[in-house]
Amino acid sequence: MQRAVGSLPLGPALRARLAAAGFQTAQELLDTGPCGLSREIGISKEEALEALQVVRQECSGDAAKTAGGAGTTRKCTALELLEEEQAQGFIITFCSALDNILGGGVQLTKITEVCGAPGVGKTQLCMQLAVDVQIPECFGGVCGEAVFIDTEGSFMVDRAADIAAACVQHCRLIAEAHQEEDHQKALETFSLESILSHIYYFRCRDYIELLAQVYLLPDFLSEHSKVRLVVIDGIAFPFRHDFEDLSLRTRLLNGLAQQLIIIANDHKSAVVLTNQMTTRIGQSQSTLVPALGESWGHAATVRLIFHWDKSQRLATLYKSPSQKESTIPYTITPHGFRDVQPPAVTQNTESTEMNPRKRPRREEEK
Amino acid sequence: MVVLRAGLCPGLTEEMIQVLRANSVRTVVDFVSSDLEDVSQKCSLSYKALVAVRRVLLAQFSAFPANGADLYEELKSSTAILPTGSPSLDQLLDSGLYTGEVTELMGTPGSGKTQVCLSIAASVSLGLKQHVLFLDSTGGFTASRLYQMLRAQAEDEEEQLEALQRIQVARVFDVYEMLSALQEVRDRLSQQAVSCTGPLKTVVIDSVSAVIHPLLGGRQSEGLAIMMQLARELKMLAKEFSLAVVVTNQVTRDSSTGLLKPALGRSWSFVPSTRVLLESKGAAWEEATTRRSASLAKSPRQPTGMQVELDIGNSDVQEPSPATPTEGL
Repeated sequence: MQRAVGSLPLGPALRARLAAAGFQTAQELLDTGPCGLSREIGISKEEALEALQVVRQECSGDAAKTAGGAGTTRKCTALELLEEEQAQGFIITFCSALDNILGGGVQLTKITEVCGAPGVGKTQLCMQLAVDVQIPECFGGVCGEAVFIDTEGSFMVDRAADIAAACVQHCRLIAEAHQEEDHQKALETFSLESILSHIYYFRCRDYIELLAQVYLLPDFLSEHSKVRLVVIDGIAFPFRHDFEDLSLRTRLLNGLAQQLIIIANDHKSAVVLTNQMTTRIGQSQSTLVPALGESWGHAATVRLIFHWDKSQRLATLYKSPSQKESTIPYTITPHGFRDVQPPAVTQNTESTEMNPRKRPRREEEK
Repeated sequence: MVVLRAGLCPGLTEEMIQVLRANSVRTVVDFVSSDLEDVSQKCSLSYKALVAVRRVLLAQFSAFPANGADLYEELKSSTAILPTGSPSLDQLLDSGLYTGEVTELMGTPGSGKTQVCLSIAASVSLGLKQHVLFLDSTGGFTASRLYQMLRAQAEDEEEQLEALQRIQVARVFDVYEMLSALQEVRDRLSQQAVSCTGPLKTVVIDSVSAVIHPLLGGRQSEGLAIMMQLARELKMLAKEFSLAVVVTNQVTRDSSTGLLKPALGRSWSFVPSTRVLLESKGAAWEEATTRRSASLAKSPRQPTGMQVELDIGNSDVQEPSPATPTEGL
């Protein structure tokens, strides 16, 4: 139990007093006992008892791990992780090109960040994913529920209903084609009402509400253990306006990122964040880069950047631990997020492509 | 500063300690630095007993000087150089990762730090058949990518599976969890438990700034204290048990000059003995490329500014090969 006192999670004032009194390892603290401790460093007996409780917990956690006990769930060999990963499902996006470059879809236990200019389709993708996570396992989904945290107010329920209806229709077509028992059974529970009732919607108006919501999320997730997707639509918005202290913002964002990765890991769910774009003004030219600064770039494990190329929407996989960087086109139809159809069919889809809320993109050539 | 306790040395009894404490001699440092005649008069203890106790305490707690030649011999026999699996990176690091030292990889997001760490783990586990401990604090460890790298390097499936079993992965998302994981490694190694881990030679931490960055800044200096505690643990592990420690760090933008600099500040810059900066060859995210350049920012052996090119493509951190996605639906 030679754990140094400086490495124990005690308050800084207490730690300073312990160092001044000459305590170096956790074992010495435990040997002294609460009465001796309170006498030595001049704190009350209750505080000494609390401190010793923390120390005992840390050290017994260590001992359990050393003895090979099943104390932590987070330590395993790479082989076990590989088996876990291969058994894990992905959340498909209904755009097969995007699923391909992501390696199968949005991965569980990882944070995926979607950055893009306004109107390019980030919220559409989030709504599509909130519906797709609920697809039953026999159709290739993960059969989970979704938490949607909205900071910009861009979640339109009627649009989500349209996307859900299209998804149910798609599954019904598959079931009719295959005519299997479990397909029919799954279709009974997979309806528009059930999909919408399993999207848990939270509205956060400023960054404090967002931080509070994320702190409270683990409790919510332990009650609703079927949640497999947490979407935060607009993580940039509350942090970009009215924030004077930039270093505080960086610290809060980093803390938020660590919280989210803990949630993603412990509850085996995917976390999807959307970010805005900002202009970095260089010496000769200015480029569009994701907002919230350089250090935020490290928070997400997978980064997708959505952008326009004349009138075509493109998605670029910019950062991923297992896939190469690549760019694919996609489109947004009344049914939701989809692949780009081959040119013969595009005549119909282009006219109905526009999201009713955003103003349509004007093309210069035509 | 160790507190005086009864069992510390044979001559030190509980009554002596009480009497000494009453005269404000509480720790070993106080005892050893005080005037013993004075103390023996005030506490009415025997001078000879105090001198004997002091001799034992000095022998126990002071550091032993070592002679340069002995140190060199010891280093020659205990230091190993571990290849990273990429010949150009080895060339940059003066033939590989040295045990007993902390090596740092830094870069912007997407520059390939996790890929290089995975490649190091694969190479040490497969090539040298040694155990690797991978502490993941960002969630970026993808076992399927590691498997892909192993498949490219070894044909035999048995070997690949064994190599995977030799890599232990621990997910620590908090600095205290990381400290307790390192403590656990230290306990296991000092007890010489060869049970499930076997000879551990490498510890890879990806990334150390993810757990420390939220604590730094502002008016509190506690973050700095924790960071230095972590630094001390890493260096002690490296030195005492002859491990090669690899850490990854982020880069942030300097607010005054607008240039990129490594995160965690000046205090951390003294911790690793070698620092490698990874950069993407493409200018911005519009150009997708798998080529990266690694430059040496700090090294005790090589001139800084050396640069090599790496390709973090599909099979390996070195060879470009045609792209095939790993898993499809």
